[in-house]
Amino acid sequence: MDRALRRKIANQAFVVICTGAALVALAALALIMFSLLTKGVGGVDLMLFTADTPAPDSPGGLRNAIIGSILMCGVAMMIAVVIGVLAGTWLAEIGGNTPYGHVVRFLNDVLLSAPSILIGLFVYWWVVVPMGGFSGWAGAIALGILATPIVTRTTEDILNLQPNALREAGMALGASQWVTVRSIIWKAAGAGMLTGGLLGFARISGETAPLLFTALNNQFLSFDMSKPFASLPGAIYPFAMSPYETWNTLAWAGALLITLAVLGVNILGRWLARDKDHK
Amino acid sequence: MSDTDFQSVITPPPADQLVLETRNLNFYYGTHQSLFGVSMPVKRNGITALIGPSGCGKSTLLRTMNRIYDLYPGQRAEGEILVDGENILGPKVDVTSLRARVGMVFQKPTPFPMSIYDNVAFGVKLYHKKSKSQMDEVVEKALRRAALWDEVKDKLTKSGLSLSGGQQQRLCVARGIAVEPEILLLDEPASALDPISTAKLEDTLEELKRDLTIIIVTHNLQQAARLSDYTGFMYLGKMVEYGPTEELFVKPKVERTSDYIGGRFG
Repeated sequence: MDRALRRKIANQAFVVICTGAALVALAALALIMFSLLTKGVGGVDLMLFTADTPAPDSPGGLRNAIIGSILMCGVAMMIAVVIGVLAGTWLAEIGGNTPYGHVVRFLNDVLLSAPSILIGLFVYWWVVVPMGGFSGWAGAIALGILATPIVTRTTEDILNLQPNALREAGMALGASQWVTVRSIIWKAAGAGMLTGGLLGFARISGETAPLLFTALNNQFLSFDMSKPFASLPGAIYPFAMSPYETWNTLAWAGALLITLAVLGVNILGRWLARDKDHK
Repeated sequence: MSDTDFQSVITPPPADQLVLETRNLNFYYGTHQSLFGVSMPVKRNGITALIGPSGCGKSTLLRTMNRIYDLYPGQRAEGEILVDGENILGPKVDVTSLRARVGMVFQKPTPFPMSIYDNVAFGVKLYHKKSKSQMDEVVEKALRRAALWDEVKDKLTKSGLSLSGGQQQRLCVARGIAVEPEILLLDEPASALDPISTAKLEDTLEELKRDLTIIIVTHNLQQAARLSDYTGFMYLGKMVEYGPTEELFVKPKVERTSDYIGGRFG
């Protein structure tokens, strides 16, 4: 067989394998979306947003869980964005090449892959026990700790992509390093940093394990984050496991809501970060 | 004569016209020395060009004059650089105010990700509180001096990144002169520009040189000959010959200079 033909065949075979692998991955996603939609849509009605989690076999919704998730994720993201952006900036702009910087980056990577249940246990021990009970704050802190390394990592990566010429140009005008970073580099990196925040949000919005030891759950609507707090994953978990059909339906609807929320926030982020500079 | 052991002929401008002078300047990237005892007296108001083959230290020399190399740990300069008689390599020098006096424009245009107006106002805001109308004046004046005003006056709120490469580079010049520096350093500012944009940029520099000292690194010998009043020829980290542009190009005193200008090497 001549070489050209052999190469052609090898090339075709490789394309087929790659396409096949991509299809398998996409098929999994499509199946998940399909089952979420078919089983979840039936549970989506007005009551889902206006009533709280019900007793078995009685009508209800997920209002308390939705609000609980929004509040805890919101507080968690505030923690993660403030700490993550500052830590990522420090790694990229200031101390990343020092021995201490290498240690910080390594520990951040460890934290990035730490099992979320460990984070839950950690927060249980250091927040729940001293505070004397489960609380929304503890849940938010656990979620914040989960999202922080993601924001840190993406911030560092995006800042490293910014050309040094931009930093030099800022400094060459007599700007301090802090001013250069704040008003030039962060601006140039804005879209990427936003993506980091969205990745962090996507990660924590479905987390269940760390909430079990921290926020616990709450069957009633509550805005007091110093008390046990409801959350969507916290409602889905027992409802999906239960033998009651109404609870099962609510669990599917909740899962659909989380998925749509992550999707929606991602689309919103893309839209906000679209390339405005060249218009 | 070995490659690194050659003569250095400096013809300085009149002593009372000096604005900047490097004396016996050595520069190191870590342990690697890339400037060797460079002395360069620069005349106030006018254009001074630095020429030489790639890697000869032209840009390195330029980057010592506003201490922009300070950004990178491991890079250091030895010797003296006098700006208005003050050694800027001294420990007590405030580098941010030095950089307001010695501006810089880079090889590739570096507009900030903000509006044209804010690009020009950026440096001014760092040092002066100005009312909106005062700032408008400063921005217009800088853009006019950089010969960009007519092209951008109707779109000052548009992003600086929306301009063409040549306009971006003139925007960077406008941004640099808006803070009214004494000296403007340009590191191959035209190397990323087409001939028409280059000609516009050169016209701008011709205008500016009346009340500004311009030091320009260029690969383009014609550009150096056209524009500059003084020229320095560097080779292997040393200043081989420095003097009035006409003399250096017409009757160079060092053989290596005439070889380079004549296209026999480099």
